Amino acid sequence: MNPTLGENERNCGPKGSLMKRRWIAGAIGVLAVALAACAPGGGASDQGDKAGADKVTLSLWSWRVEDVKAYEKILAKFEESHPKIHVEFKPFQATEYNNILATGLSSSGGPDVAQLRAYGGLQPLVEADQLLPLDGKVEALSGFDAKLLEGSKGHTDGKIYGVPFAYQTLQVLYNKKLFSDNGIEVPATWDDMIAAAKKLKAAGITPFAVAAGPDATWTLPITHEIFGNARYGSTAFRDALVKGEKKFTDPDFTASVKLIKDLEPYFPKDVVAVKIPDVQALFVTGKAAMYPTGTFDLAPVLAADPSLELGIFQVPPPPGSPVTTPVTPGWADGSFGVNAKSAHQAEALELVKWMATPEFGQLYATELKQLSAVPGVTPSDPLLAEMAKNYAGNGAPYTLLVNFRYGQPNGDAVFRDEVQKMLTGQTDPEAVAASVQKGVEQWFKPGN
Amino acid sequence: MVQARELSVPRRRAARTGARRRYAPRWRVLAVFLLPALLLYSVFIVYPLVSALDYSFFEWRGIRQTGFAGLGNYRDLLSVYPYDQQLWRAFGHNALFFGGTMLIQNTVGLLFALLLFRYGRGKRFLQAAFTTPYLVDPLVVGYLWSLLLNPTFGPVNALLDAVGLDSWALPWLGDTRTALPIVILVNAWQWVGFPMLMFSAALAGIPAEYHEAARVDGASAWQAFRRVTLPLLTPAIGVVSVLTFIGNFNAFGLVYAMAGSSGSPAGSTDVLGLLFYRVGFVEGGVEAIGRSSALAVLMFVFIFGVSLLATSYFRRRERRLV
Repeated sequence: MNPTLGENERNCGPKGSLMKRRWIAGAIGVLAVALAACAPGGGASDQGDKAGADKVTLSLWSWRVEDVKAYEKILAKFEESHPKIHVEFKPFQATEYNNILATGLSSSGGPDVAQLRAYGGLQPLVEADQLLPLDGKVEALSGFDAKLLEGSKGHTDGKIYGVPFAYQTLQVLYNKKLFSDNGIEVPATWDDMIAAAKKLKAAGITPFAVAAGPDATWTLPITHEIFGNARYGSTAFRDALVKGEKKFTDPDFTASVKLIKDLEPYFPKDVVAVKIPDVQALFVTGKAAMYPTGTFDLAPVLAADPSLELGIFQVPPPPGSPVTTPVTPGWADGSFGVNAKSAHQAEALELVKWMATPEFGQLYATELKQLSAVPGVTPSDPLLAEMAKNYAGNGAPYTLLVNFRYGQPNGDAVFRDEVQKMLTGQTDPEAVAASVQKGVEQWFKPGN
Repeated sequence: MVQARELSVPRRRAARTGARRRYAPRWRVLAVFLLPALLLYSVFIVYPLVSALDYSFFEWRGIRQTGFAGLGNYRDLLSVYPYDQQLWRAFGHNALFFGGTMLIQNTVGLLFALLLFRYGRGKRFLQAAFTTPYLVDPLVVGYLWSLLLNPTFGPVNALLDAVGLDSWALPWLGDTRTALPIVILVNAWQWVGFPMLMFSAALAGIPAEYHEAARVDGASAWQAFRRVTLPLLTPAIGVVSVLTFIGNFNAFGLVYAMAGSSGSPAGSTDVLGLLFYRVGFVEGGVEAIGRSSALAVLMFVFIFGVSLLATSYFRRRERRLV
């Protein structure tokens, strides 16, 4: 140790003073560069001002990193009809997006137009007054499906903060070949469906590709919606819940939870350890015949095996259901809204107005293979078209997501933990329902 | 301690002999060297800690502070269902995690260190082999093991089936009784090299004469270990225990990879890190920032406090050795 210390001291002699100054200057320089890199970059709006006197650049933020190419195509169409506006698409990691957007909207480098989460995910931004209400500003919104518009409304003020871009529907995908090989028709009644499941199980095929493992807890409320929405009473029950006339402890809701337990024999073995990729693999490789899931899984399934012959069906209402026709639960995916602080609000409004036109809707549906929320847009894909038709005819709310994500604990977080407990035999449907009620009534005030 | 005292003597002497005036502006040099680290430390460690403390005392609606909450967020955390139950459940799992790790990982680590110390053959290779897993991120380790243990496609159960032990082919991560023990074992698998290296270094520092003396006095191998080796390992045991404690009570990546954010199945692997992640980022809700900050502060105070107590306890034990 000693010799080293001596060397250091020698270096700091008279000759060292000049070096020292360089050192300090260097260190300060490095720090300055580092800090500049950390500081939020100037927003696209600033660049727009420099680019030309009359051309405005809008910054559009999104959580869809995988959709860059599609959005470039879509936005090119917008720029054709709006030559004075240039839109820059800026996607961020989906898991980080909420925080990035909240920060972006509160500072100067934020977006002009942003992709917004729906329902409870939108509320924090509404409460912080970060978004421009679109009521009366985007006329086309009055033609949108009322159920989907709920997703872009403020929870307490009821104002519309975004133009919905897409929605998801829930149904059962089935493997047509496995059905015909086993002599099974698309079930018309609940009992038909159970009989089909028994037949498939006897043939060594997993009837329902359902996962309840560590990555799949968020799909448990979805499974519940697909099989149980009609059983708990669908829209009428949801409305009664919101008004405070009914509670989750209602016998109909409890019965809908019990369906999951009843169907467990037809799920993969040890379902609580089964992950989403496992069930996708089971379904894609023909080891499972039915996959209760959302629109969002259609593209991944077909990507894994494009030759797969798929059909879809709505689950027939189980015995005792208050709703006797099959339903298709669905929800709005999100919307596009305008930053309240945007320096180019007029142009930003032009963009979101365009996003409410069938031109955008059709482009969106074609390029991204999703269900567009714009009224009158028909998907070219026959399965998507069928989902859209089912939703238009028998659409129902995904209650826990649509109405019970506005506070902590949110309804479906409690629900999925409790359902997992039920599947491991630690609790029963009554207790699951009671927990959900106990959780949400701490913040939920009926009547809102 | 002894070493430090010896080192500081020449420096003090140098200062007394007038060296101080010659090197008068030394603090500036020191500042140049210290400032970058201090700045980074302040910006990335001190500032977030202080701001979490600050956030935890306010009411939040999204990212907007709506007023001073006092201890409101802390009260919510302890009284709002299901957090009131999840907090204690997660705390209990962390305690089990720590206990299991001490028992398995650190005991096996000590055993490996002793074996490598006694039988030197292949020491370098084995040391490298045992420490390799900690080059891999816990997230990756978690995903690898959950693939291996997958009940549908995983090789572990396929192997058990193949050798006729199909009754042993359990859904390891899907059973509330086995999930946490499995996570503890995988964690031990990853980190066993750490106590092994610490104990190896400590063993190498024990003078051979002590063992010779014990043997001459007729001590058995066990007695020599129990009465000579183990007490002299106290400093290493202290460091390993405290670091294990800090690591286990902050556990996140591995558990997240193996059990998801909800501590699957049915919360049987839920730990404080996951609870924080859920309250802060997964469940949303306009109260998220206040409550998650309160939880972060509670975790910090607890971990910091216990670490301080444990460190001072082991210090006292060490002093008794000298």
